[in-house]
Amino acid sequence: MPRRRFLKTGAGAALAALALGAGADGLLTGCSSDLADTGTVPLPRQDHPVTWPVYPGNAAIKSGLAPEQDATLQVYTWEAYINQAVVNSFAKKYKTKVQVTTFNTMNEAVSKLRSGLSYDLLIGATVDVLGQLIEGQLVQPLNHSYLPNISQAWPDYTNPFYDQHWQYTVPYTIYTTGITWRKDLVDENPYAMANPWAMPWQPKYKGRVAILDDYREGICLGLMKNGLFDLNTTDYRQIATSRQALQDLNGLVNLRIDNNDYSEVPAGQTWITNAWSGDMAAAASYMPKGVNVDVVGYWFPPDGRGPVANDTNAVLRSATNPVLAHTFLNYMLDLPNVLENISWNGYMQPLTGVTPQVLVKEQILPPSLISTAVQPSTFRRGLFELQLPVDADALWQQAWLVVSNGI
Amino acid sequence: MRNKKNAFYIALAVPGIIWLAVLFVVPVYAVLSIGMGKLNQMYEAPVAVWNPFSWSSSNVIDVWRDLFGSASFAGPVAARTLIYVAIAAVLSLAIGYPAAYFVARFAGRRKALFLVLLIAPFWISYMMRMLAWIDLLSTGGYVNKVLGWFGISPVNWLGGSSVAVVLGLVYGYIPYLILVLFAGLDRIDPALIEAGRDLGLGRFRTFVHVTLPLSRQAILAALLITVLPMLGDYYTNQMLSGAASTSMIGNLIQGQLGTPGLEGQGAVLSMILLLVLLVPMIYYVIATNREAAR
Repeated sequence: MPRRRFLKTGAGAALAALALGAGADGLLTGCSSDLADTGTVPLPRQDHPVTWPVYPGNAAIKSGLAPEQDATLQVYTWEAYINQAVVNSFAKKYKTKVQVTTFNTMNEAVSKLRSGLSYDLLIGATVDVLGQLIEGQLVQPLNHSYLPNISQAWPDYTNPFYDQHWQYTVPYTIYTTGITWRKDLVDENPYAMANPWAMPWQPKYKGRVAILDDYREGICLGLMKNGLFDLNTTDYRQIATSRQALQDLNGLVNLRIDNNDYSEVPAGQTWITNAWSGDMAAAASYMPKGVNVDVVGYWFPPDGRGPVANDTNAVLRSATNPVLAHTFLNYMLDLPNVLENISWNGYMQPLTGVTPQVLVKEQILPPSLISTAVQPSTFRRGLFELQLPVDADALWQQAWLVVSNGI
Repeated sequence: MRNKKNAFYIALAVPGIIWLAVLFVVPVYAVLSIGMGKLNQMYEAPVAVWNPFSWSSSNVIDVWRDLFGSASFAGPVAARTLIYVAIAAVLSLAIGYPAAYFVARFAGRRKALFLVLLIAPFWISYMMRMLAWIDLLSTGGYVNKVLGWFGISPVNWLGGSSVAVVLGLVYGYIPYLILVLFAGLDRIDPALIEAGRDLGLGRFRTFVHVTLPLSRQAILAALLITVLPMLGDYYTNQMLSGAASTSMIGNLIQGQLGTPGLEGQGAVLSMILLLVLLVPMIYYVIATNREAAR
């Protein structure tokens, strides 16, 4: 349903009334672009897994092929999301060159791939864009015979709900979103609080509270603060409730919105923030001289009912070195390489050999931040922020614009 | 002969025209086509519509509501931007005019040295200069250390302060203002100032009645060259505050352009900002022509 029509029908009218009452008409606006393409993609959910189609002309490569010789493997990934040492060791082992090109947002990556930019691999694709990548035929199905190291991954990843039978993806990183706080500067301990998601709402920490600059994470925080745990809600009232909570938070603490949690918390610039576990796992690298990493705390619900996400790796359809690309994916599922990657990246990879104990033993993770490690049970019980229907997504985005511009 | 001369001058303009067409007209039309375009539902991505007869006004209507609707959220951001920029411009002028005046009138043989010093900030990228300020203004930074010597407790400069944003704007753009002002003040004929003194005016009155009116065009140009980029600035706020309460129109546009599905509105808002910026530009052109006609 086109956005404008959505807003003109019942739900929209109800939202209009709500927004008028809440004094945020802006929430309603901006949802009315004319639509050029009415195509929709299935929306995977944990209780509604999706098996993606394999399109004619976009089949997996044949088995038994040798990796391309004298090739340059083109890797497309997030800025600072892969350990160059691991890339170099792969290049050395397979006597090849590897060129890493980076992007800053998933939106940017998908746009550039659609425009025809050609790479072999997409490293770190978020689950919410898989539909666009697959139905847009930007990625190709995997040939599992090249990926024996999948046996090292958690068993869940041989049949994840977002890509049944792992036809197109292998897992890359897995992380949670929790609450980080400075134990030496903040009186409260979220583990002792009735509602730790409400921890940022404390005026005494004015100027010291931040939240992630991500519309999904932001609105989800507002939802969870209000005891709402459907993180893919399309209910306009819940979205408005979250928006109002975040506006209140802004009034209380002069809220800062950025993604610098990994450096600002160690520096003492931010005392309380929602944070990605991978960022906080790397906090030790950013601590000022003389300040122990033990002062940084990370809370995630002990029962695992909090935001969890994993990124994926895929071979692009435009790959000119598809066998080498598969070989690289397999290499990135091998425990020693994975540990080396985590030691630089901070973000955990879901291999059975990557346990909290191993991470501490290998001195990759400080014991005080063991709560940043993700367990297989979290993947099953955690709350995924997944792709939304276009109309609902527009409501989330508009609510976030209102919050992030301090109105 | 005259025709040949004309052709020669037209030929001289060709590179500039091509430059303008490729790097200004085409990009602006592309932004316009996205703003007046459609949305690809599957990718939540804008689809540029190049034919003006097929343009859609929905993004314009949405942005108009955001700006001027009964409970607009972009309107207050625009108002906040204007206030910040106005204060920053006045501060820049108050600091920059004496500096430019000193270099133009009293630097003597050291004029070149002072000019180099004025240009020195440009040797370091804007981002690096702002990162340096983050270090200086952080809780344990040098600014708070100096305050500590006087018994003043640390100030949370980077905790979402309007003051930090305005001072950041002043710091970031003041070299442009000083350079333009210097160029204008340096061209004032000293004989005119001496004439004012000879006619019995004191230093202050000479300045008010001779120097200041003669530097009016330079002030206008200097303000223009600093105010225009300040109005579209988003980086200063992002680096020195990051708070929602100090968000400027540039941040709003950046947010929209970075959000799937909202790029079209970001494009429209950019075009509106461009139109608003044209007003002082046109005023400057008219004022310059009027001055030249005197």
